Amino acid sequence: MNPTPDSGALLPSPDVLSIARLVPHGSRVLDLGCGTGELLAYLIKMRGCSGYGVEINDVNVQACVARSVNVIQLNLDEGLAVFGDATFDVVLQIDTLQHLRNAEVMLRETARVGRLGIVAFPNFGHWPNRLAVLRGRMPVTKVLPYQWYDTPNIRVATLQDFEALALQNKLEILDQFGLQDGREVRFWPNARASRAVFKFRGQRALP
Amino acid sequence: MRYQGDKFSEYFDANTYLLITRALDYFDPASAFGGDLSAALAKATAKFLLVSFTTDWRFSPGRSREIVKALLDNQCDLSYAEIDAPHGHDAFLLEDARYLGVVRSYFQSKVAL
Repeated sequence: MNPTPDSGALLPSPDVLSIARLVPHGSRVLDLGCGTGELLAYLIKMRGCSGYGVEINDVNVQACVARSVNVIQLNLDEGLAVFGDATFDVVLQIDTLQHLRNAEVMLRETARVGRLGIVAFPNFGHWPNRLAVLRGRMPVTKVLPYQWYDTPNIRVATLQDFEALALQNKLEILDQFGLQDGREVRFWPNARASRAVFKFRGQRALP
Repeated sequence: MRYQGDKFSEYFDANTYLLITRALDYFDPASAFGGDLSAALAKATAKFLLVSFTTDWRFSPGRSREIVKALLDNQCDLSYAEIDAPHGHDAFLLEDARYLGVVRSYFQSKVAL
């Protein structure tokens, strides 16, 4: 259940920097599954953002505190009850979705709490993964580095899978693309990109 | 044990304990604000580090999360750690590495600013 401590204390990876570019300057940000807080720290410093991270792991919580990133220790599988409706400009779920039991509920919660949602996750439709399965074995790659029996990724999905779930939950997809080595992939991303990125918002009922 | 008990009962009137626990139970910082804790904390300008222990019944994580929610409503500078410790309310008196670690990191980060 614990997110892997793979976020590291290094500089944000090229993929994460590409995602950071989607966050408007000065946004109030909620980062779900923020790890050691490196993305939030980057957004605060480089893009004038403010906000909070949510993290379950003790070691990661302390790492956030150590770098002065506001962090709330919560199990995301228990929901986002402490956060009010539309209280953040942007809610991020970067490599978090695949660890959640209640991935669908959390998607709706993301749209409720944020005016904008940004979700990124490993794209199982990436061609090396398909090839591995065609050969009869589960893939082990840079983005999905675990064996099937010890993976913390309890949800695996493709770009198209997520699109279907978003539509089913009446989310308005504002942008979607793949990421490969920090570059956006917009032509056939479901096969050509190791990571999927979606930018969306909830369709709010009119008062 | 009996000796400690006798000594203790001479030091303290048992009724003070009744009174003190009542005072704790009835303390409601939101009462002057129509029960709205967010309104009660609206004036706060401090930075906050909240730490709770999962087995503490006196100050349960549930109540701490109410404070977290109220501080979030006010967009306060806030970190919250929930330490999974088996020692109940006394956990804060013990040397829990996670608890000490997060408090130490918090103060160090504020000194560094």
